[in-house]
Amino acid sequence: MTTHVRDAITVVHGPQGCTHHNFSLLHATNLDNDRVSLPPLVSTGLSETDVIFGGEGALDRTLDEVIARDPAAVFVLSTCIVETIGDDVGMVCGTKAGVPVIVVPTAGFLGGSFQSGVNNALVALAGMAGPAEGNGRVNIIGEKNLEYEVEENFTEVSRLLALLGLSVNIRFVRDLATDRIASLASARLNVLRDPSLIPVGDFLQERFGTPYIPAYPVGISGTVAFLESVAGACGIDCHRAVEEERALRQETLDDFADLAGAGVSFTPLPPDPEGNRAAQDLVEALRLDVTPSGRPVPVPVTPPIGITGVRRLLHRWRRALHA
Amino acid sequence: MKQIALYGKGGIGKSTTSANLSAALSLAGHDILQIGCDPKRDSTRMLMAGRLIPTVMDQVRERGAAGVTPADVVYTGFNGVRCVEAGGPEPGVGCAGRGIIATFQLLEKFGTLTGDVIVYDVLGDVVCGGFAMPMREGYAQEVYLVTSGELMSLYAANNICKAIERLSARPKSRCRLAGVICNAKSQPKEEELVAEFARRVNSHLVQFIPRDRVVQLAELNRKTVIEYEPASAQAQVYRDLATRVMENTRLTIPSPLEIDDLEALAIEFM
Repeated sequence: MTTHVRDAITVVHGPQGCTHHNFSLLHATNLDNDRVSLPPLVSTGLSETDVIFGGEGALDRTLDEVIARDPAAVFVLSTCIVETIGDDVGMVCGTKAGVPVIVVPTAGFLGGSFQSGVNNALVALAGMAGPAEGNGRVNIIGEKNLEYEVEENFTEVSRLLALLGLSVNIRFVRDLATDRIASLASARLNVLRDPSLIPVGDFLQERFGTPYIPAYPVGISGTVAFLESVAGACGIDCHRAVEEERALRQETLDDFADLAGAGVSFTPLPPDPEGNRAAQDLVEALRLDVTPSGRPVPVPVTPPIGITGVRRLLHRWRRALHA
Repeated sequence: MKQIALYGKGGIGKSTTSANLSAALSLAGHDILQIGCDPKRDSTRMLMAGRLIPTVMDQVRERGAAGVTPADVVYTGFNGVRCVEAGGPEPGVGCAGRGIIATFQLLEKFGTLTGDVIVYDVLGDVVCGGFAMPMREGYAQEVYLVTSGELMSLYAANNICKAIERLSARPKSRCRLAGVICNAKSQPKEEELVAEFARRVNSHLVQFIPRDRVVQLAELNRKTVIEYEPASAQAQVYRDLATRVMENTRLTIPSPLEIDDLEALAIEFM
């Protein structure tokens, strides 16, 4: 999350492996999305000696090296071992002047999940923003940067916002410049990637008064509901937009009418209730027949977002059915 | 709110001193919180009529961090002194230092760290980062070293000076050495030796506590001397300590000695 603030540097205070693991993951998933990038990620490279004698010196030296490169900000993430040996990360970070050094506690053994780490990082970054003049735009909060279809999903949500005459303020956090964080509070509305980000939505609402929509639109029926929610939150009339979207929905079903009546089976079953519902909606809309002997059709790990997400899924189903 | 920490070699009488200090301060009209930061968890026993109160870490282990309430960990003892024991693992396993950090975070969350004086009773061998927690920003600003005239306890006190010196060097740090308390073993010239030690590490002897049988008697009766024999000379010593602690403004950054200098000092007073 923090490495997506492109002009900042993220320091992981811990042994090299903790950083390497994340570096590899980010680099590899970026390649999946056809982008070659080296995440701005640095390790304090704790050795056994540092663990035994205390790691604050290593953190201090690394911060000085990193700050000499003149980043817009520095984010410091902690690891299990430094929290165990009692390194006072906050204190060391507080000794640095001239550049914001933000601590995000991320030691795994202290509880929480991957998502809570993401939420903590978002809240820590949001702490860098103050009150700002409104600009009527919409923030996108908590995009899943590791998700294969992250850009396609963003494009779909942008399309829907544009139908209501709304534009995007900042993507928080994806490919963000540090100085753009200051405009976080300018938005009239926040759209969260999914409900697991509600703690972040609540934080932003409490701090800046910005209301939020708790999730991206899911499945064939989600986009109309999404338009109505957004319009309601912004006090905009959505009749024309909803009409257009309903027409698009019908067009999609018409385009895939050749699938009607086909026998399908889901292997594996959608892993979450949301994905399950989205699949069921499609089954009903296309009048498919779910039977154990039906052709297996792929189920996405995350539910399809918007009409374009559904179209991509239906293309895969068509290929599976005609194979 | 005054926050003080007592550090000193194991067995030197830190907990006895802390408990009596807390009792004396409480009788002088102050609202006192004593926090035992030693896995032995017996710092507050004499304030709790001999009871070993449940420790913070045991409660967290049994109920989960979310299931612990302030009432599970804060107990009220002699004259209204509130008592907390951090607890921690048994000898030879786990990480006691991390236990101290976790305890502090929980007490912060509960809003427990209040009162006129908070007394942190911390084990003597500050062997890792966790045991320096009471000296971190926001907690104890005054550290008292409890020592006798024996070389080994002076050595431990000197070592703690190194920790205080290093921590004091941090910007924004307000942790200072407040003084040395001599808990006597009845060596000859013990008071002079400890006073000189205090001077050489850039501090001063705040109180000399003579060895007195009444301390053991009180302990066997599960009370502080203040409670057990309030009219005794020893009780007055603790009351004097309490007065001096409240009035003390001599807070310094210690200058720890080299082992050779320490031994030379001990020989001087042989």
